[in-house]
Amino acid sequence: MSRLLVACFVVFPFAGLFLTFPTSPTWDEAILNTVAYVVAVALINVWLGIGTAWWLLFTESKWKAWVEWLTFLPLFIPVLASMFGMYIALAQVGLIGTYTGVGLVLLVTTLPYSIRLAYNAMYVIGRPLLEQSLTLAPLTRIGFVLFPLMKESVRTIVLFSTVIVLSQFVLVQLIGAGLVPTVTTRLYQAYGGNDVSLALQNTWVLVSLPVLFYIGLGAMFGIWIRLVKGRLQ
Amino acid sequence: MSLVLSGIRKRFKDRDVLRGIDLTIPNGEIHALVGVSGSGKSTLLRIVAGLETLDAGSVTWEEMPLDGVPPHLRRITMLSQSPLLFPHLTVGENVTLATPNRSREEAEAWLTRVKLPGRYDAEIHELSGGEQQRASFARALAAAPRLILLDEPFTNLDPGLKSELQRLIRDLVRELELTALLVTHDREEAMLVADRVTLLATGQVLVTGTPGRLSETESTFGDFVEVSGTLLPSTDIDVSTEPTSDSIVLVRTFIRFGHHFGEYRRPTGEYVILPRSESFKVGETYYLRQKQGGI
Repeated sequence: MSRLLVACFVVFPFAGLFLTFPTSPTWDEAILNTVAYVVAVALINVWLGIGTAWWLLFTESKWKAWVEWLTFLPLFIPVLASMFGMYIALAQVGLIGTYTGVGLVLLVTTLPYSIRLAYNAMYVIGRPLLEQSLTLAPLTRIGFVLFPLMKESVRTIVLFSTVIVLSQFVLVQLIGAGLVPTVTTRLYQAYGGNDVSLALQNTWVLVSLPVLFYIGLGAMFGIWIRLVKGRLQ
Repeated sequence: MSLVLSGIRKRFKDRDVLRGIDLTIPNGEIHALVGVSGSGKSTLLRIVAGLETLDAGSVTWEEMPLDGVPPHLRRITMLSQSPLLFPHLTVGENVTLATPNRSREEAEAWLTRVKLPGRYDAEIHELSGGEQQRASFARALAAAPRLILLDEPFTNLDPGLKSELQRLIRDLVRELELTALLVTHDREEAMLVADRVTLLATGQVLVTGTPGRLSETESTFGDFVEVSGTLLPSTDIDVSTEPTSDSIVLVRTFIRFGHHFGEYRRPTGEYVILPRSESFKVGETYYLRQKQGGI
């Protein structure tokens, strides 16, 4: 009974979505921007997240503690609290109201989580096993060992950064100064204007992107592993 | 001369782990670094592998400096306490990945040499601990190294597997004319496997020599070396026919580097390897005693 109740709680908010599909979806600038941000931020998160986590795990630098503290600082400070600081900093260099400014802020928001996820994954895999891979040439190491070992973490980083990017409204609106349309900013306008059709279309984009990423990444990783193992037969 | 370590120093935070290590290991030699935990032996091995930076000194191979050379360009492989096989690959795939040409045939040949024929497609978890360590050894050899580093590779094995793997590694390293650097805290292991032994203590070389010579001349050899996992009190242990409170039974005899050794079983079930008189007989009871003037 309790399970049924929980299922109802989970499904109920989405019931409307499944009962009503957008009738005439249009591919507009907001969707294009959102997809571009999601892809770019996810890729940079994977690259910098794993790179920084690797450095944190292996470095003996005296700066390690400082870097660790700085990279994890945004995890302790709510985004809204740090947003105004980012606003002032970006205004100083003329990035308010620009696509670059919005991209930077989305990166700052997501990167600490990605570093933490990658670091935890490497910690679980263990330094000795990762060190064992150092005897392989860099491309072999990444393609045959690190990527397959960390594929689930990569997927989590991509999905996590995607969902965070798709959840930002205030941040994008403030730093973008209303000049950078995304699905979320369009969605809020649609809510305000009572445009159900447009709201529905943008909501479906928000729902579809992570699902497509999840399925797409799963398929891509599966193919990659088969290729890797095929090369070793 | 092949591997030369000169004036190696390493400091972790406020502790000097290595304090000026000088060591020369000729080509084709199996060299053991012996010392208790914290003596710096594993750190030294990691420096040679390129996994750790050094604060001072140099590592050279055939007079070519290795400092700053990344691990994958050193042609040095390492066998650790744990097999460290990549879990997403099969046993054979782990070995193939290490071969220069990614050749399955070559990998299968290496698996056969370490007595794992037909296990190419086995998953890692299907192998026992000893088999995994053998597969790891096959991978280390398949990479065509010029130097193989052995970081206490027998520690987690039971006695039977341990001596089997010791023989296998020693014989294959000799057959392939590789240079090997073995780190161990176990004196008997060093004596059985190595051509020469270096004793390390508090980050310094105490002495280097053949196991036989060290065993007979260096009173320090036993001072800090565990025998079958137990630190024997004092150090100058000898085996005698005169009864003492510490009896042992001779279970096996062998000659190593021209010296007569015996494997003895203590009443507690531990095995120790110590020198023996030629007249000693297997199955007889002998006695441990403190030796005057060192072993």
